[in-house]
Amino acid sequence: MVTSDIYNKEYDVIIIGGGATGAGTARDCALRGLSVLLVERNDYSTGATGRNHGLMHSGARYAVTDGESASECISENMILRRIARHCVEETDGLFITLPEDDLQYQQTFVEACQRAGIRADVIDPAEARSIEPAVNPDLIGAVRVPDASIDPFRLTVANLLDARLHGAETLNYHEVEGFIINQERVEGVKLLNKHDGSHVEVRGRVVVNASGIWGQRIAQMAGVKISMFPARGALLIFGHRVNNMVINRCRKPANADILVPDDTVCVIGTTSDRIPIETVDDMRVTREEVDVLLREGVKIAPSLATTRIIRAYAGVRPLVASDDDPSGRSISRGIVCLDHAQRDGLEGLITITGGKMMTYRLMAEIATNAVCAKVGNNAPCVTATQPLPGSEEDAPRQGDTSKRYSFGQRAAIGRHGSLAARIEKDNDIDNALVCECEGVTVGEIKYAVHQLHVHNLVNLRRRTRVGMGTCQGKLCSCRAASLLGELNHDVKHAQEDLALFLDERWKGMRPVAWGDTLREAQLTATIYQGLCGLDNAVNIQGKEDMQ
Amino acid sequence: MRMDTVIIGGGLSGLTCGIALAKRGQRVAIVASGQSTLMFNGGSMELLGSIGGKTVTSPLEAIATLPQSHPYSKIGAGNIAALAASAKELLADAGINMEGNTSANHWRITPMGVAKPAWLTLSDHLRIDNLDNLPAKRVALMCIRGFFDEPNGMLAQGLRDLGFEVKAIEFTTDDITTLRRSPSEMRASSLAKHLGSNNALQRVADQINALAGDADIVLLPSVLGQNDDNDFQSLQAMARKPLRLVATLPPAVAGMRMQTQLRHYFKMLGGNYLMGDTAVSGAFDGDRLTSITTAKLGDMPLKADQFVLATGSFISRGLVADYERVYEPVLGLDVDADADREQWTRFNILEPQAYMGYGVATDGNLRCSKQGTTIQNLHAIGSVLSGHDAVKMGDGTGVSMLTALAAAQSILA
Repeated sequence: MVTSDIYNKEYDVIIIGGGATGAGTARDCALRGLSVLLVERNDYSTGATGRNHGLMHSGARYAVTDGESASECISENMILRRIARHCVEETDGLFITLPEDDLQYQQTFVEACQRAGIRADVIDPAEARSIEPAVNPDLIGAVRVPDASIDPFRLTVANLLDARLHGAETLNYHEVEGFIINQERVEGVKLLNKHDGSHVEVRGRVVVNASGIWGQRIAQMAGVKISMFPARGALLIFGHRVNNMVINRCRKPANADILVPDDTVCVIGTTSDRIPIETVDDMRVTREEVDVLLREGVKIAPSLATTRIIRAYAGVRPLVASDDDPSGRSISRGIVCLDHAQRDGLEGLITITGGKMMTYRLMAEIATNAVCAKVGNNAPCVTATQPLPGSEEDAPRQGDTSKRYSFGQRAAIGRHGSLAARIEKDNDIDNALVCECEGVTVGEIKYAVHQLHVHNLVNLRRRTRVGMGTCQGKLCSCRAASLLGELNHDVKHAQEDLALFLDERWKGMRPVAWGDTLREAQLTATIYQGLCGLDNAVNIQGKEDMQ
Repeated sequence: MRMDTVIIGGGLSGLTCGIALAKRGQRVAIVASGQSTLMFNGGSMELLGSIGGKTVTSPLEAIATLPQSHPYSKIGAGNIAALAASAKELLADAGINMEGNTSANHWRITPMGVAKPAWLTLSDHLRIDNLDNLPAKRVALMCIRGFFDEPNGMLAQGLRDLGFEVKAIEFTTDDITTLRRSPSEMRASSLAKHLGSNNALQRVADQINALAGDADIVLLPSVLGQNDDNDFQSLQAMARKPLRLVATLPPAVAGMRMQTQLRHYFKMLGGNYLMGDTAVSGAFDGDRLTSITTAKLGDMPLKADQFVLATGSFISRGLVADYERVYEPVLGLDVDADADREQWTRFNILEPQAYMGYGVATDGNLRCSKQGTTIQNLHAIGSVLSGHDAVKMGDGTGVSMLTALAAAQSILA
């Protein structure tokens, strides 16, 4: 459908925000038969969804401090293992006690887990060392819990895909500039199309504000006030997967106490700092954050001290201030759903916020229930049982190492589940590898460009992991840029796209630019600037915001 | 083992210095890890391409304006013309056929179709002397099917922007198709190895002759000639149009070829090239280095009257940055680098980065120092030197060759 047709329809619901929550809400609404438009100002999963550990919490982390969140987590954890199998790696997790920690806490922790319904088995430190050799060998206690690793990019895309399969429209690079409000009633949104700079209006019966930390700004445009507590967290990605299980510290949640294995890498995090709302768009990681993460990270897994750090990044948790919450109850649960008709006398607007990536589906269900109540829809929610595309019962399993699949095909099945079957592999060129680190083929790139809303290389990276491996896009980014330029019939901008991609990678490398990461940076500069002259060909100043 | 001179590092600068010394009858050993940044060289040498973002057309004049900290200033701006002439002669003696002159830069064409200033370019590679007077009008750009290390779309666009009429023509041959079944074989170096037989070249020539149409010139990715330009000459003899090569992404065949030719020439002159070995430490006696220890020779240190450090920059591990500092890892020499990590880099990738200019500190004679003491018999050459940014200034290969020759002169004096 061409974009102008999308603008000209009137929708049952318009969802603002292309993170996990927005995508999940779009899917839920579409499955219940509503007509849906989702708008996202950047690419999908560019906010907190794409800026966390990739940890599928068992809930154990919250068991002691927030029993309700813990129960939500374990229940969603079990649901996601079924419905999002291709996004999840069932690693299990350890909560370890180090000599500097209080071993008494372990008992408090295990009891709290049991109350929340989370399996928590105390195991011997020797057993912990044997099942997870990367763990600090000095540990004095360990508890095994059903933590897992999850790919939030893949999860969000699967939700968007299913929403579209059920009739939803989705637009990335469309930023909300204001609301159409008529007699105390929201009737639609005013949008900036960032592709061409045009301004449009789209009508909907209900608008859902699912824009995470940016929800305060969005609400302000509708004249209602939400006060958010931006809580910033920084993380480091290491170039190898040193651990096979999630490793947590068994103590009250603190800085840098979780190490998560994700695909070929692992991630340590996070810090946690209150920041002013005006600074939520500044994702630069500071030297102090890096220092804290490293200092604490090596206590969990000592081999991190000698493992290359490939990048640093930060995200902002959308916590909501309690003084503005009329009931006061929502706060303890983390998830906050505000019907602005009841709260502020403004009909047609719902805000869904708080929560975590982990509980995105539940948040989507709550928001969709609120929408359905407004538009008079009685269809039941099925998202807790209906698998996402890619995770159907008969989908090929991850880790199928039989000779039926090539390396690239196996990698693609890991990323797209059953949808990998749609990837062209009929000729030798489609099977050719573009990215050796992550096993991305020409066919997979074609699939992503044609099916997954890919406008540039950074979009492509989020859909396929191209350039996310150890080399951080050293050669594959140029191959992919060239291919993308041909597929999108836009070779002229391929160089600029490539430079913006490398710049985006550099933003994450710079805070940790020493050792092999600095070598890698010099190598990249030698290839793309010295050998290729990319810096002579393009000027990317001020163009970074389309990533 | 006792040598006249031991050179640590076997890339462009180490080999150039070794050749100059061996030619004058010195007993020379080069300790070479086996990796060289010539692997990222598309077939050109540069003296100086840019100052402060402005393109340099006359490198000799521009060199005279460089600050005192630049390696060219240390070896004397007035000596550059003579050193450059010797470097060109040395390359020719090694069998490396290059064209260009010292007084005016020409243009090399990068894999992305960008024209960059250059001093010398391999004679089988595309070179443009004057952008307002192109050497051809109609170009047939031959693209090997399934070879992704030549970004053909960008290259074709770049050539069009320069004013060429470009027809991009995809082709393959039966044996390239077979090669493609293994994705790792579709690298430039593997193709060059494979195409090193007359039968394979004939099939490429057949494709060129069938497809090139009315082109004035045929461009091919630089995937010919691991050891010399004979494969290019053979293909040219079979093709009915003038051919030129265009650099690819690494591994770059042209640079690897130059590395091989220099190494062969050094050995022919009687030099010892200790391949696959690395220097790990040195023994000092006051202000002199007396020997170095290598990984392979173990407790048999290499002794010499003179030593040359040619270990390269961070890429080659001639410099190492850790969490807290930048250091020279073999001999613990003094370095020019910012102490504060925040200063090493800039936020935007295309800005000049401070770390590119870091290197070992040297006196006006390219001699290194350790804890403030000048080491009388240790010169540093090439990318391990501080004071220049090879990526932004386009002076990397020139600095490597010319400082190598200047150090050789100093040693022989």
